[in-house]
Amino acid sequence: MSLARAAVVAALALTATPALAHDVVPGVGGFYGGLLHPLLIPAHLLALAGIGLFLGQQQRPMSVGLLAVFTASLVIGVIAIVSAVSPMYQGEVVLGVAAVAGLLVALARPIRALLSLPLITIAGIAIMLDSVPDDMSMQRTFLALVGTVIAAFILATLIAEATRALAHDWQRIGVRILGSWIAASAILVLAVRLAR
Amino acid sequence: MSFERPALKAVLSLALVLASAPAWAHTGSVAGGFFGGLAHPVFGIDHVVAMVAVGLWGAFLGAPAIWLLPIVFPLVMACGGVLGILGVPIPAVETGIATSAVVLGLMVALAARPPLWVAAVLVGAFAIFHGHAHGAELPAGADAVAYSAGFVIATGLLHLCGIAFGTLAAWPAGRLAVRTAGGAIALAGVAFLALQ
Repeated sequence: MSLARAAVVAALALTATPALAHDVVPGVGGFYGGLLHPLLIPAHLLALAGIGLFLGQQQRPMSVGLLAVFTASLVIGVIAIVSAVSPMYQGEVVLGVAAVAGLLVALARPIRALLSLPLITIAGIAIMLDSVPDDMSMQRTFLALVGTVIAAFILATLIAEATRALAHDWQRIGVRILGSWIAASAILVLAVRLAR
Repeated sequence: MSFERPALKAVLSLALVLASAPAWAHTGSVAGGFFGGLAHPVFGIDHVVAMVAVGLWGAFLGAPAIWLLPIVFPLVMACGGVLGILGVPIPAVETGIATSAVVLGLMVALAARPPLWVAAVLVGAFAIFHGHAHGAELPAGADAVAYSAGFVIATGLLHLCGIAFGTLAAWPAGRLAVRTAGGAIALAGVAFLALQ
């Protein structure tokens, strides 16, 4: 092999990159990767925590209704992805949702269901649009999205129910403080994204 | 082996260029970002004493200040952080941080009981300086969400330390201890001012 050929081979070998498939945990893709996605992506965790705390602060009928809307919006997000909608700024929208939800939790004021609907709907759709796995087959992508829908629903429901179970005043105050932390973190990261 | 041929030089140059690693703007790991953020306020003693003073004063003032101040602080701190991240200058940030220790420490030492809104505005005003410093120091390589969540949580935990110690004010001896701690924080603030 001539030196020139050897150099070309070396160039190709050195430039070869691992086939990353946007797995949150390396080697765990498809349905289980989708399940883990909301748990391991901090922005999604912030948004889901904010939404869950917010739902937990509401009266049960309204909370159940909003949770149903949230689930429907997650499914709408999947349909949008399957329909090849190419979103923009979905990551920023997820952070915006976390900031607004965190603020509402910190304020802990009664809010009409109609005013909450846009937040909940945007949250579900944006979380899904920001959860699209790269470089996967259609089937694996769909399975991953189904996993994400299930995980997001379970997480929001668990946090909402846990919040509702808090009976003492100091626990409710703790929830409001958590809301302020979520809002503060999300606002800061939004600023970082804008600055970059 | 000869490196005289231009084609060979070009191939080798190409190999070296292609082999170089890309300069990712988002290199930080989630765990590293979170723990980096968590450690950030703890290793700045001027931040630590001011955060503890907020908690002490809140506990000293009792409800609703005990929970309102720790909610106001991170939210306003985030606004200051946004200014820092976006590069909007605020004059005398370090002086403001040192002054926060002096003023908040004095409030505790003198057992000052201003109206709630005055306390909230005072704490909020100082939070802008702290947030600006945090925002300006946010490392570019860190995972922004995890880092921000880490340092907001660390800030909140420092408040809780102050609140926990401040609850001693329910007893006469504890009240003296809390006021003494406030005096020590104010003196530390004076030292920070003198060292600038």
